[in-house]
Amino acid sequence: MNAKPRSISRHFSWGSVLANVVTILAAGIWLTPLLFTALMSFRPPAEPVTQGNIFVGTILTTENYTRAWEIAPWPDHYRNSIIFVVGTLAVQLVTVTLAGYAFARMTFFGRDLLLILVLLQLMIPPGVLLAQNFATIRDLGLFDTHVAMMIPYWGSAFGTLLLRQAFREVPIELEEAARIDGATLVQVLRHVYVPLAVPTYIAFGVVSVSSHWNEFLWPLVVTQSESVRPLTVAINKLIRTADQGSLYSLLMAGTVLVIAPLSIVFMIFQRRFVESFASSGVK
Amino acid sequence: MQAALPVTNRSVSPARKPWSQRLLPYLMIAPTFLIVFLFTLKPAVSAVIDSTLKPARLAQDPPAFVGLQNYADLFNPTHHLGARFGGILLNTVLFAFGTVAIGMPLALGFALLINRRLPLRGVWRFGFVYPSLLPLIGAASIWAFIYADQVGLLAAILRAANPNWLGSPGLVLGAVIVVNVWSQTGYYMLLFLAGLQGIPRDLYEAAALDGANYWQQLLRLTLPLLRRTTLFVLTVSFTFAFQAVELLQGLTEGGPGDRSNLILYFIYQNIGERRNWGHINAITIILAVIVLVFTLSSFLFFERGGRESER
Repeated sequence: MNAKPRSISRHFSWGSVLANVVTILAAGIWLTPLLFTALMSFRPPAEPVTQGNIFVGTILTTENYTRAWEIAPWPDHYRNSIIFVVGTLAVQLVTVTLAGYAFARMTFFGRDLLLILVLLQLMIPPGVLLAQNFATIRDLGLFDTHVAMMIPYWGSAFGTLLLRQAFREVPIELEEAARIDGATLVQVLRHVYVPLAVPTYIAFGVVSVSSHWNEFLWPLVVTQSESVRPLTVAINKLIRTADQGSLYSLLMAGTVLVIAPLSIVFMIFQRRFVESFASSGVK
Repeated sequence: MQAALPVTNRSVSPARKPWSQRLLPYLMIAPTFLIVFLFTLKPAVSAVIDSTLKPARLAQDPPAFVGLQNYADLFNPTHHLGARFGGILLNTVLFAFGTVAIGMPLALGFALLINRRLPLRGVWRFGFVYPSLLPLIGAASIWAFIYADQVGLLAAILRAANPNWLGSPGLVLGAVIVVNVWSQTGYYMLLFLAGLQGIPRDLYEAAALDGANYWQQLLRLTLPLLRRTTLFVLTVSFTFAFQAVELLQGLTEGGPGDRSNLILYFIYQNIGERRNWGHINAITIILAVIVLVFTLSSFLFFERGGRESER
C-alpha cells in the first residue's frame, strides 16, 4: 500500500523541482512591476530610473510622498472612497436581503419575469450604458454628488441571486416554527435567514467593496469636484501631472498612497478574499 | 426538502391572502427593481430609440427620426465618426481576443503550478493574484512608468533598443494588452484553482494506478473536467475586456491616432457632444449587443448546467 504513492512521488520529483522553479520565476515576473513601484517611490525626483543604479538612487527619500501628498486633497479622496463603498454596501445589504427573500420564498404573479428583468443587469453591465446613465444622473439633479456614484449599485442582481440561493438552502421548517411562535417577517429575516447566510453576505461584501473601491470610469463621469471624487479619480490627475514633467517617482508614490489601504486589508484577509472571489465568479 | 416547498407555499396561496400580504413581495423587490429599471432597462430602451434620432441644431428643437442612418454612418468611411469607428471596433475585437488568447493559458498554467504541494504556496499565489486586486487605473499608472519613453523602467533595461511603446502605432495596442493580461490573469487563476479543487482526488489516483503520467492526466482528465470553468473564464474575460477603459485613460488616451482606442472609451470621449448623441447611442447598442452575446450564451449554458446538476 505504501509503496505506490512513494514510487509516484519519486518518479515526479525532478519534474516538480522544475515546476517549483517555474512557479517562483513566474510569480517573480508578476511582482516585478510592484517591486519597482515601491523602489521608485523612494527615489530622488531628479534621478530617473535610466540614470545610475536601476534599483535605488543615491539616497532613499520620502520627498515624493510629501510632494504627492500636497498635490491632491488626499484625506478628502480617502473619505470619498470610503463613503462610496460603505454607502453602496449598506444599501445593497438591505435591498438584496429583501429581494433575495422574495424571490427565494414567496410566490406571486410575475415572479419569474421580474427575476429575469433584474438579471438583465448582469448581462448588460451598467458601464456599457454610460452615456444614457450619465444623462439620467443629470436629469435627476444628482451630478457631482456622492449619491450619483452609488445609486446605480443600490440594486444588485448579483447580490440578489447570491442571497436567493443562500435563502433557498435554509430549511423551511425553521421559518415555519418561528411563524407558529408568532414571529413577524422582519423577525424571521433577522433571526433565521440572515444569521444562516452570513458567509454569503461576507462573500458579497468583499466583492462589492473591492470592486467599488477600484471603480474609476463611472465616478469620473458623474463627478467634477475633488470634494466628491474618490481615490481612483485622483490618481488620474496625478498621471496627467506626472506625464508632463516625467515625474515618475512622484507618480509611483501617489500610486502607493492609493493602493496601500486595500493591499493591507488584502494581505491580512488573503484567504477570505481568495475564497470570496473564487466562489462568486464576479469581481 | 425540495418536494415539501411547493406544498407549504400552496397552503398559503396568494389568492387567499389579504391585499397587504399579496402586495408584500412586490414591495420587497421594489428597491432593487427600481434601480435596475432606472440604470439598465430604461437606458437600454432609450439608447435604442435615441440611436434612430438625429439631434436638431438647436437644443430646444425636437430631434428628427433617421431610421438606421446613424448605424450606416458608423460604417461609412467618409463620415467623420465612421472614419474612426471601423478601426476602433477592430481594436476592441483584437484587444478582447488578444487578452483572452494570452491570459487564459497563463491563468490555467499558473493555477496548475499553484495547485501542487509547494513551499511558501501562499506567497506565490499572492504574487499572481495581487495585480488583479489593484484598481485598473493604478495598474495603468504603474505601467505608464514602465513604458515611459526615454525615462521608463523598460528604457532603463533595454537602453538604446527600447522602442517608444505607447507612441508607436504598431506597438501600442499590444502594449496595452500586456497590461490588461498582467492585471487580470491572477483573478482567472483563482477561478481555475476553484475548478481544479472541485475535481475529486480519487480520479487522479485511479488514473495513476492505470499508469497515466502527469501529461496524460492533464490532457484526458483535468482539461475536460475544467470545461465549465474555462467557458466561464472566457465569458468574464471578454466582458471585462470590453470595459477596460482605465488603461486607455491612464496610458494612451486612445492614441496615437486611435490606434489603441476602444469602443467604450470612444463613447466616453464623445459623451458631452450633443450633435453626436444619435451616433453615441448607436455605438452603445452595438457594444451592448456584443456584450450580450457573450453574457447571454454563458448564462444559458450555466443555467442549463445548473439545472442538470440539481437533478
